[in-house]
Amino acid sequence: MSPLNARTFRAVMASLLIGGALVAGCAKKPVATPAPPPPPPEAPAPTPPTTPPPPPVETPPTVAGTRSEDYAPAYFDYDAYTLRDDARTALDANAKLLRDNPKVNVTIEGHCDERGTVEYNQALGERRAQAARDYLVAAGIEAGRISIISYGKERPFATGSDEASWQQNRRAHFVVKSTS
Amino acid sequence: MTRPALAVLVALAALADPSGAQAPTDVRIDISSGQGRRIRIHCEALQTPSDRNSVSWGGQANEVLAHDLDWSAVFTVSRSWVAGQQPVEVQAVVGGKLTVSGTEVRLQGEVRDFPARRSILAKEYRASLKEWRTAIHQYADDIVLQFTGESGVSQTRIAFIGQSGRSKDLYVMDYDGARVTALTSDQSIALSPSWSPEGSLVVFTSYRGGGGPRLFVTPAAAGRPYLISGRPGINTSGSYSPDGRQIVCTLSHEGNSEVYLLDARGASPQRLTNSRGIDTSPAWSPTGREIAFTSDRTGTPQVHVMDREGGSLRRLNYDVSYTDSPAWSPKGDRIAFVARAGGGFDIYTCRPDGSDTRLVVSGGSNENPRWSPDGRHLVFSSTREGGRGLFVSDLDGTPPRRLATGSLSALSPAWSPRPAASGSAFGVNPGSSTPGGQP
Repeated sequence: MSPLNARTFRAVMASLLIGGALVAGCAKKPVATPAPPPPPPEAPAPTPPTTPPPPPVETPPTVAGTRSEDYAPAYFDYDAYTLRDDARTALDANAKLLRDNPKVNVTIEGHCDERGTVEYNQALGERRAQAARDYLVAAGIEAGRISIISYGKERPFATGSDEASWQQNRRAHFVVKSTS
Repeated sequence: MTRPALAVLVALAALADPSGAQAPTDVRIDISSGQGRRIRIHCEALQTPSDRNSVSWGGQANEVLAHDLDWSAVFTVSRSWVAGQQPVEVQAVVGGKLTVSGTEVRLQGEVRDFPARRSILAKEYRASLKEWRTAIHQYADDIVLQFTGESGVSQTRIAFIGQSGRSKDLYVMDYDGARVTALTSDQSIALSPSWSPEGSLVVFTSYRGGGGPRLFVTPAAAGRPYLISGRPGINTSGSYSPDGRQIVCTLSHEGNSEVYLLDARGASPQRLTNSRGIDTSPAWSPTGREIAFTSDRTGTPQVHVMDREGGSLRRLNYDVSYTDSPAWSPKGDRIAFVARAGGGFDIYTCRPDGSDTRLVVSGGSNENPRWSPDGRHLVFSSTREGGRGLFVSDLDGTPPRRLATGSLSALSPAWSPRPAASGSAFGVNPGSSTPGGQP
């Protein structure tokens, strides 16, 4: 989460707490989240993400694990699809969320940085998504609940040409598909 | 006349023009052996009626023709309408008459040798006003044919991916960047176009319709794309075999990205590779007997070559350590590929046996080299001038030239074959020239 969104999040949280609207233990409240992943803080965003969130509406508290942003991405090294320790930690947490929410199905998107060709990165992105899926299945999550898609280098989260941006883009990214 | 090749070839009979509009002398020069040696040629302004409209047409036509000849990489062009560009040491003078009547353009082209000014090519071209560029391009291609024995490529087109915002769509344009046309408008991601051998279809990858990357085919003259492979996983890197009967591509429905052959409708998958790593980016040899592709089976991605059954596997090149995106030249004598350099890629070519590696393009990140059908040029995408755009290298040490694509970022170019009835050494657009042209 970028600092900007973290700030927004805290501000909304504070207002909600003052209003007494939060049930203790429900740590998260639906905030007007920008639909695609947040742009990098250093890059000039084409669409201003600074529009204030709409006033809190009467929605029932949601359970952690039902929204895409509850799931941490698994990050990868350059030109690699083996899971690092930090990726395993993230996937362990995601596995718990999936166990706690047996009706949630997810899509794991494989993403790559801009280095490498279009075609190679499509294959590499798929290997990253597969690696994350396989880890979850090994952790006991039913394979049928997880679908994968590779975006290669076509949907970067950060648009800079530097290691910080590249690292943001080398990830297996979770999207909640359905909560049927 | 100091050039021995010319002296020999001047004697060759006028085989090149079956239409009956034979020029008195057929001059052919073999320049394929000497990259970078160009023929000096002088363009005179096309004669037009003196009305303002015709003069305006003529001005545009002059520039298109001069560009065609310059971009052929066969000629060094001087222009009569540019101050200071006199016909110095030129071998030929290009001229003609251009008239517009109603909705038809008529071009009477004539090339004369220099300084004797004997006619060596005289031919008439007609086209609808809308297609006036085609008439100019036909003339230019015939001039290249006259001097080299092989038609030029100025009637070809380039398919590419244009990016606007987050959308990537499939486009085609003339080889010189004119007449850019969108073939898809999906708000999705299109990638990796490749032409069918006769130039009527383009196979490409798209995320259209949701889900992962799938293979589609669309008519190159606009039409509705149709799905040919939507198997689970990735369906990418489609490329028609030289006989048009098969498509080689990358699929992962069996769990891992591998190279497959499909029939032209996308059925009957036949797996050619079998490794635990990534195998992708297949490219046919012009005979259809071999396929170059990228594999990371030995660690980093490397271009490999196999036969069309998946056998006789070998790594292409040991001179560079990370290679990808192979493209086989249309004559089969070179393979272009990219090699990692810093955060991006340089473009190289080598012989199919891996020898004689030559750097073609460096600076910025350069991707997806694809050959022109005459093998004299490579089109590729590059960040060399900021943004991502398309460039053409003439493979002779001259700086790559940028193809204008308007406000679009452009990538993944693919050069079309020559249009039917053009291209072979002896087939000179018989349908579009008028027999009995002036001597």
